[in-house]
Amino acid sequence: MIQVEELTKIFNDKKRGEVIAVNNLKFNCRKGQVFGLLGPNGAGKTTTLRILATMILPTKGKIMVNGLDVVKHAAKVRSQIGFLSSETGLYDRFTPRETVMFFGRINGMEDKVIKKRTAEIFHNLEMEDFQDVRVNKLSTGMKQKLSIARSIIHNPPVLILDEPTVGLDIITARTVIEYVKRFRDQGKCIIYSTHIMREAEKLCDVIAIIHHGNLVAKGTLKELKKNSSSDDLEEIFFELINQGENLE
Amino acid sequence: MSWKNIKLIFIKELVGTIRDKRTIIAMIIIPLIFYPLLFTGIGYFSKVGSMKSEEANSKIMIYGAEFAPQLVKHLQDSEKIEILIMEEDFSNKLQNGDIQAVLAIPSDFKYKIEQEEPIKLILKYDTTEAKSRIAQKRVNQVIEEYKSEIILQRLSRLDLKEEFLTPLILQEENMATAEKITGSFLAVLLPYLIIILIFAGAMHTAVDITAGEKERGTIATLLVSQISRLEIVLGKCFAVMLISFTSMVLGLLGLTLAFLSGASIAGGIEGMNFGISINTIFLLFLVLFPLVGLASAVLVMVGIFARNIREASSYITPMYMLTVFLGVISISQGMELTGKMFLVPILNSSFVFKELLMGKIYWDHILTTFSANTVIAGFALLGATRLFSKEEVLFRS
Repeated sequence: MIQVEELTKIFNDKKRGEVIAVNNLKFNCRKGQVFGLLGPNGAGKTTTLRILATMILPTKGKIMVNGLDVVKHAAKVRSQIGFLSSETGLYDRFTPRETVMFFGRINGMEDKVIKKRTAEIFHNLEMEDFQDVRVNKLSTGMKQKLSIARSIIHNPPVLILDEPTVGLDIITARTVIEYVKRFRDQGKCIIYSTHIMREAEKLCDVIAIIHHGNLVAKGTLKELKKNSSSDDLEEIFFELINQGENLE
Repeated sequence: MSWKNIKLIFIKELVGTIRDKRTIIAMIIIPLIFYPLLFTGIGYFSKVGSMKSEEANSKIMIYGAEFAPQLVKHLQDSEKIEILIMEEDFSNKLQNGDIQAVLAIPSDFKYKIEQEEPIKLILKYDTTEAKSRIAQKRVNQVIEEYKSEIILQRLSRLDLKEEFLTPLILQEENMATAEKITGSFLAVLLPYLIIILIFAGAMHTAVDITAGEKERGTIATLLVSQISRLEIVLGKCFAVMLISFTSMVLGLLGLTLAFLSGASIAGGIEGMNFGISINTIFLLFLVLFPLVGLASAVLVMVGIFARNIREASSYITPMYMLTVFLGVISISQGMELTGKMFLVPILNSSFVFKELLMGKIYWDHILTTFSANTVIAGFALLGATRLFSKEEVLFRS
């Protein structure tokens, strides 16, 4: 469903000159799979996901989402993806119902279809009690539920989730993870970036560890453990990162 | 480009703006309630103040009253003048408001009257005190009357008639139409007010829905939707245009209400006869719309470029000051623009507004202004759209 080949992104920074944010990244993600991008801050996770979501252009490489090239068919790709990150804020002066209606409309859906799907999503996410309360009155957990609802209103086959549990309390974070599992069971292809090891362990079918824009390792948790001297993902992570730094 | 998508963004921005309490305060409460109340209050208090000053007697001390008994009698006979006995500390009393004026009469008053020489009277008063100013007027009036009496006496002694002093009479007739009188009155301030209100109205919304969206992190959600960058920019720009235009109309309405309520309380407006033709109103709007578009597009462009609201505000403040400056130029009397100067945005509109309000229709000025502002607004829109497509602008931190 998602094929990333030789993805490279170079930024031109006035002070630092050329900065390679992502270097020759290559991975695939299938339907019904959670693909985890694991890396510290500044590893290139967000840049990769922004390119997948058509927000920015790659410097090099080819990315296909559900058979569509993200550069050539950006608009069509957008109809295939739901994007959620810590930076995808919500409009404070709108209610959840209005928010979801707006995002349904800007994704080309008919009002009738939006209403039907909103009712389903609000029921599944237990949002009915606060669907008409303005966002600025909602708790963090309620807001994150709304963010999820907003990103799946158009029923996209691909979900791109960029550190969706950052800043959430443990209960809300757990709820988010449960929903991600549910979406995987529904057959969605999910790219999930995180720097929290426990999340990656619990959730991701395949984990790619990236550091300084490079793919350091990729495989199932079992495969990663097999190739390491440790049994703990955090230890494996540091071992791989250190190896990567020594090679550099 | 889909108008449906532009409308979606337009409505979203409009609803968001209207639900913002700050917008309601700035657009409705301040111009429509605060301004009239303020002006009514000012009008009421100035009226009360001036009535009190007018009603009160003017207390005047006369130095050398014995040298001009007739003049003193004239002053005593005047209804609102009260003559007090001269005291040493008259200066302090004048400062404290215990007396309103001091008149000094020279000792040679009688001699100079007989010799037909000019006599210098000194009137001490305080211009910062309303009551003292009124006293000055009252004394002046009495002295003028007394002066006329002396002149008449001298003329009759010479066997001359009063007409001897007025060999020519100039009768002035004002040929200005009511429209022109209204126009010249409005032309002084209105163009400046229109420009300031348009910019002030557009500023908050333009920044809030561009740099504000970046700051709140909502911009990414729009970028991953089906709506194109151009549609987003146009939707936002149209929303700013409507808010800006409405702010200007409400602002002018509020100021008119304020002016009328303040002025009617303070004593009414004399000689005002409002009359603007439909043609003038149509032409005013013709010049107004590109200006609203220009202000909105430029402010949206700046808002998109800025990282956050604070940065946007720091870019907009000097622009606003420049706008005020260009607006102020239009207030200057006697200043005229030459052909090419009508290509300068803001300045051109303010001068065309001024001309239209004065009843002058110069089509070359109107068309140059309309075209220049429309073209610049178009470029600003294109610039905003280009900035909205630049990842280094959208995601710089």
